[in-house]
Amino acid sequence: MKRAFTSVLIFSFSALFVAAQPAFEGPPPSTAPVLDPAKRRAEYLARVNEVINWAADGGQAKTDDPAKLDLAMIAAKIVLREDLLGCSQRVINLMSDPGTGPFWMFPTVCIAYLGRDHLSSEALASIRTAWRTTRQLRGDTENHWAMYYISLYLMAELYPNEPAESWYSGKSSSENLAEARSYLIHWMDLATTVGQGEFNPTHYIGEYVIPLQFLANWAKDPVMKKRGAMMLDWLFAELAANTLNGVLRGPNARTDEGSAIERWQAMASYFSWLLFGNTPPTAGYGGWGLYFAPLAANYEVPEVIYRIATDRAGDYLQRDRARVRRFWRYSDELSPPVYKTNYLRRDYAVGSTRGGLMDVIQAHVWDVTWAEADPRGKHNTMFSLHPFSSMWAMESMFVTYPEPMIKAVTFEGKPSYDSPDKIMGSSPYERVCQDLDTVIALYDIPADTRFPHINGFFSKDLVNISEDPSGWIFAQGGKTYLAYRPLAPYHWEKYLHHSSGWAKVRRDLGGRLLVSPHLKNGTIVQAASASEFKDFAAFKAAINALSLTFRLEPTPSVLFTSLRGKKLAFTFDQVPTVDGRAIDYAKWKLFEGPYLNSELNSRKLSITHGKLERVLDFNTLIVTDRIK
Amino acid sequence: MNTKISAFILFGLLALRTLAAAAPAYDFFVCANINRNYVIGSKIVTTNGIFQRDAAGEWQHLGYNDTGISALAFDPRDRNVIYTTGLNGLWRSLDGGKLWRMCNDWTITEARDVAVDPHAPDHVYLALPDGVAFSSDRAQTLVRRENGLPARGKYTQVLQIDRARAGRVLAGCELGVYLTEDAALHWRQVLPTKEMVLDIQQSPHDPLVWLAVTQSAGAWRSVDGGQSWKQLAAVPTTHPLYNITFDVTNAQRLAIGSWGLGALTSEDGGQTWIDRNAGLPAPHRVWRVGVDPTGQLYASVVAETLFVSSDFGRTWKPDSLAGSVVNKFLIQPKSAH
Repeated sequence: MKRAFTSVLIFSFSALFVAAQPAFEGPPPSTAPVLDPAKRRAEYLARVNEVINWAADGGQAKTDDPAKLDLAMIAAKIVLREDLLGCSQRVINLMSDPGTGPFWMFPTVCIAYLGRDHLSSEALASIRTAWRTTRQLRGDTENHWAMYYISLYLMAELYPNEPAESWYSGKSSSENLAEARSYLIHWMDLATTVGQGEFNPTHYIGEYVIPLQFLANWAKDPVMKKRGAMMLDWLFAELAANTLNGVLRGPNARTDEGSAIERWQAMASYFSWLLFGNTPPTAGYGGWGLYFAPLAANYEVPEVIYRIATDRAGDYLQRDRARVRRFWRYSDELSPPVYKTNYLRRDYAVGSTRGGLMDVIQAHVWDVTWAEADPRGKHNTMFSLHPFSSMWAMESMFVTYPEPMIKAVTFEGKPSYDSPDKIMGSSPYERVCQDLDTVIALYDIPADTRFPHINGFFSKDLVNISEDPSGWIFAQGGKTYLAYRPLAPYHWEKYLHHSSGWAKVRRDLGGRLLVSPHLKNGTIVQAASASEFKDFAAFKAAINALSLTFRLEPTPSVLFTSLRGKKLAFTFDQVPTVDGRAIDYAKWKLFEGPYLNSELNSRKLSITHGKLERVLDFNTLIVTDRIK
Repeated sequence: MNTKISAFILFGLLALRTLAAAAPAYDFFVCANINRNYVIGSKIVTTNGIFQRDAAGEWQHLGYNDTGISALAFDPRDRNVIYTTGLNGLWRSLDGGKLWRMCNDWTITEARDVAVDPHAPDHVYLALPDGVAFSSDRAQTLVRRENGLPARGKYTQVLQIDRARAGRVLAGCELGVYLTEDAALHWRQVLPTKEMVLDIQQSPHDPLVWLAVTQSAGAWRSVDGGQSWKQLAAVPTTHPLYNITFDVTNAQRLAIGSWGLGALTSEDGGQTWIDRNAGLPAPHRVWRVGVDPTGQLYASVVAETLFVSSDFGRTWKPDSLAGSVVNKFLIQPKSAH
């Protein structure tokens, strides 16, 4: 009896411990799809509640001191109706020193709406006052403007019919509302016709979906409410189709050093965890991610999106378009198209753009990313790049003098921009061709370029690395075999990592860089599942048997027969051919694949999985679900 | 009134008149940013905006704090009407800086310069990364006026209005200097360049004389109101020239601010130029030079402070505004308002 009682106690304490442990510290979740809708919904709501409770309990600060509450903690407490008096006082304190810009605006909108019926009138008035007294910067990126205009829209709706002098913008409520509405519809038009400029962002997805969720929940205008809800589905469908067990891989319009090598280390992982439950969330639920939680219970994850995210039983190829961040100058086009190729399998995924200049600082052009049972701390990726650093490129995209900018960005959260060993950023001297799980990246770098070499990233988590006499480098990552063929001589350097955007010290995490100091250069990577071969030796033999010829002068050019039997011919700056047929990029749709399909300029996305289909039609603002 | 009193009053009036004549006829402003590497989203405290030099030689902060203020202009009829440009676009105050209105919508952003036509003070011109906008109603409404500017290559850094004739404006763009003579309805290229034109100035002494500096093509001079241009041979083309300024007190004195060349001055109308970096911090990264109404030369040195010289660059001493970058020096005729 006594033993049984002790066992019950131990069980209870264990259960409590497990319940109290945040998911980012717990074991990795199963990647198996939950097929029972009720169970799936219950698990989703449990995750939502976990986030809210964690934030209300003090979040990262682990404090119940009302004086240390931040707006995310206050939002969670409002949801739980906890300490509303303390929350009100803290809001008043925080509003006495308002921030400037969209990262301040959307959290205050969150509090203004959540607190409408719960905070003191003084607290709500303090928010309103801050929106009068403190000039808000609109920023200069697509995500800044999404946050800015959704926030402005919602505040203008919350406080209608108020005069110009009552707003920081000097415009009346109706003027603010009209301007915000006009931009948001314009942005949605762009995203649904030619794609996002900030496509597949590892972190900035939060900067879109959080305010969009506010719009979907709080907009009074049913049109904007519907648009918000539809854009949420649109972006989450893209997330689902581009993740491997919840981990967003390349290419990415914008990322950072952490996400580029530890692919899971991104706010996108928080949303995968929350929506699909198939990867752990990042520490602190992604920080900004806390602002999604208060309304998350109102979002029904569409089953078709859930299925896409969690089904990696079959291989699939998705070819999409997006666009480059705008070039203000020194370019014939304001925002040239981006062509993305993504090939996903159970064990790994391969993704790329065609190369060239995209975001000058934070783009990630291509990679092979392999699945890990627990992706935390794993550098599960392989890629190469030309470390491009250029005043001219800065000048083309930013409204500033180029001369001080390179040094400036290294102090502004992008410390590696001007480092020869950086592992992030696009280059005008890189061209990429992908067919299924084969990537050919070619480099034709002018002699006067700041960093006249290319870097290949070799993870600490690769095993069985061998430099074959044939010139191939073989390695294994997870259950993926990898063959990496440098086309010019190279040497190895230790990879030193910036742990954050403001890190002063770089850390040796165990990875290496293959540094090839040759201007005419190239990389071929072929991936395969280990299960396709008897053993690693068989994979090596198969790769060595593949036909490969290349030249680097005068222009890098490759003829390669891939492991999949495709004859790839690719010359720098020319259209690649596959089995003799040129890839016709002009015919690429906005989305084309088994899961996402959209004609260019159509404003209409079909999301399908098996017999499930959801169509988001921004022409009619109609969402159609059907079983095919 | 007895004669003694009359004489005293007359003497007093004469003295007042003399004092008034001796006082500078201009006010002096700067747009200065003290940003400490601020980026959107960071919590770094910034001090930015318009500063006016007061009679005691101190810089007084006017208006508001905006991390990206790039230029300012006043309505010549009413000093209370102020225009500033910045990250959000164009801001306007009608009451001396108490209330401000963001004049543009989302189609306009990151304005670089603003100018008001002294002959048509309701006309406001706005330099943009993607062209030029115009207002005929004190920026209550803005329209694009880009006919004649290239479809690509119309990044506009600077606008200067010809004070001698209404509707005549020169624009410094990515691909050269462009001129309009009909209030921006039509533009034509008057100086082609391969890279940015960074500054254009009209002489305060002769309205036909104009100067322009560029990113990679040196400095240029026009003596026919900007119709034709001739390169100033003595100015190096090795480094970008961020701005150029005249001295309102001396027609022969000019100064250039440059990233790389630092401060250069000329005291013979631009025929010869002298390196005036002795006393300024190295490396020679001068963001802007300016000359105040008394002829004092200023140099804004990146990441340092504002420096001032009372002998036109021969010696320098630090001024205030530590850590600032000055985007614009503006001399403005004194206003009754």
